[in-house]
Amino acid sequence: MGSLEPFNRLVKLAARAFYDDISMKGDNQPKTSRGDNRGMAVVVLDALTRRQWVREEDLAKSLKLHSKQLRRILRFFEEEKLVTRDHRKESAKGAKIYSAAAAAAGDGQSGTKEGEEKVKLHTHSYCCLDYAQICDVVRYRIHRMKKTLKDELDSRNTVQHYICPNCKKRYSAFDALQLVSYTDEYFHCENCNGELVAESDKLASEEMGDGDDNARKRRREKLNDMQQRIDEQLKPLQAQLKRVKDLPAPEFGSLQSWERLNIGAFAHGDPSAADSSRNAQGQYNGTPMPYLGETKVEVALSGSGAKEEGAESGTDGTVMKVLPPWMVREGMNITKEQRGETSNTTKGDEKSEGKDEKKQDSKGDEKSIQDEYIKAYYEALKKRQEEEDAKRMQEEGHTLSSESHAKRLLGTKTKREDGDVEDEGVEWEEEQLAGNTAETYKFVDLNAEAPESGDEEDDIDWEEG
Amino acid sequence: MFFHIVLERNMQLHPRHFGPHLRDKLVAKLMKDVEGTCSGRHGFVVAITGVEDIGKGLIREGTGFVTFPVKYQCVVFRPFKGEILEAVVTMVNKMGFFAEAGPVQIFVSNHLIPDDMEFQSGDVPNYTTSDGSVKIQKESEVRLKIIGTRVDATEIFCIGTIKDDFLGVISDPGAAV
Ligand SMILES: [Zn+2]
Repeated sequence: MGSLEPFNRLVKLAARAFYDDISMKGDNQPKTSRGDNRGMAVVVLDALTRRQWVREEDLAKSLKLHSKQLRRILRFFEEEKLVTRDHRKESAKGAKIYSAAAAAAGDGQSGTKEGEEKVKLHTHSYCCLDYAQICDVVRYRIHRMKKTLKDELDSRNTVQHYICPNCKKRYSAFDALQLVSYTDEYFHCENCNGELVAESDKLASEEMGDGDDNARKRRREKLNDMQQRIDEQLKPLQAQLKRVKDLPAPEFGSLQSWERLNIGAFAHGDPSAADSSRNAQGQYNGTPMPYLGETKVEVALSGSGAKEEGAESGTDGTVMKVLPPWMVREGMNITKEQRGETSNTTKGDEKSEGKDEKKQDSKGDEKSIQDEYIKAYYEALKKRQEEEDAKRMQEEGHTLSSESHAKRLLGTKTKREDGDVEDEGVEWEEEQLAGNTAETYKFVDLNAEAPESGDEEDDIDWEEG
Repeated sequence: MFFHIVLERNMQLHPRHFGPHLRDKLVAKLMKDVEGTCSGRHGFVVAITGVEDIGKGLIREGTGFVTFPVKYQCVVFRPFKGEILEAVVTMVNKMGFFAEAGPVQIFVSNHLIPDDMEFQSGDVPNYTTSDGSVKIQKESEVRLKIIGTRVDATEIFCIGTIKDDFLGVISDPGAAV
């Protein structure tokens, strides 16, 4: 399996390019600004880049989203073919037993899961990103966009019109059957039997009104302009697509095979990994989050203190984070990469930024609260980082193998968003930037909206059968 | 595109058919009346696959004809804009070519034929690439995309294009051994 990083970057870019202004609103909800959850889709996609298979309830919890709201978003992404979902019936008890079993590096989903208990079954939904498909979908989407424009420009899908040079009568290709002449190769006028001329020919274009011509010209210009802007604005995305093209896409497989694989890894692997998972399990009560071996990459990241600093200040190229637009404001010392741009600033980007700024202004009073919140958050973060540093200093003395250490890190990393902090060796680059703060920010809106979505229809069948 | 749908029709039956085989007569007449027709809404009725329900007959005053409401299942063919079809070329001229996909007639005008294909007049008028490798003439089979349909009450006529990826000749009668 390939490295996740370039693919995650692709997902993030695509999310911002195509799903930034998607509002996941039920039809029956009032269109208040409070309920505006545009940008939510991006947050959810981002969150998924930090996970593999995840139970949707757990994801909702950690994003502080109403589960129905999250489900609506996920259903949308399922339709968009970005996300794979799986639903299965589990009893609450069964899920716990199963979790424990998995955590204890044990016997996986043995018969106990479905078997003994007569407890009520609940349908649980799981989801994960389908990276291979995402690449295809994004590529196809861009292809379609360009093709539609190009076809318009070439007037490829237009119905040809014909005109009679004698009586000026116009015909369209739909009349072709009546116009066919069996004596020569041309169409002939029904009135005067004159030879028809295709309208794009010179005579016809003279015949056409001036205004009409201008309108066509303007339209062409508009299309050309649009084409150029697409090229510019999608440049980072396309560059990333190109980068990712020859890499093997990360593949989690189906939920079952993923679980089997991971539980298997626990069974044969080091006990410490299972241990960490169990720890997390303790207060989390969700599915176990066993992580795949090859994400060991993370060892290097979290292992070196220098790296953390680099990530924080944004000097390290590889861990550059794209800041969500609402975080970008005057006076911030950020690089273009953080804005999600490549080296050349494009007109479109500037435009969209301007829009975001406007959006912020309109939220004026909320903003100060958010500022407060962010400030407090960073303080807490800093404090914790110091603790972590101290802790790590100790830890380095320990004889933990770096491998199992990595697994622990990962296991705790995802849990952490839930708010329980019991992790050692936190990865700061993840936390510091777009990631958690994005979610925290959104809490304000989301909690407000969540109850409203209560009456939303749900297409998942929660009943038996 | 083909659809399997249920349609309804009021059938008028002559009194001479009233008897033990009334139902058979009715179905036979239905097939004769309906199959091969075209309605703008549903497209061409290709075949009747079953009769769902025959309602109570109503005797017409004066004539003795009886009207039966008949519900029947049938396969219909309705071309859509954007649909890809395979069709047989029926006529080629300087303005383009005509093709048929079953009951549907399609016209492909010359500006929707790839630019590298040129019209060649003669005994067998055709469009040919400059290297002669691809030729469209009468009886050629082409894959085309419908870019417009004109649906009348009793007729559907389509405009197609072969100026796109994977469209064009799929079998060339000239090349056949
Ligand atoms: Zn005329």
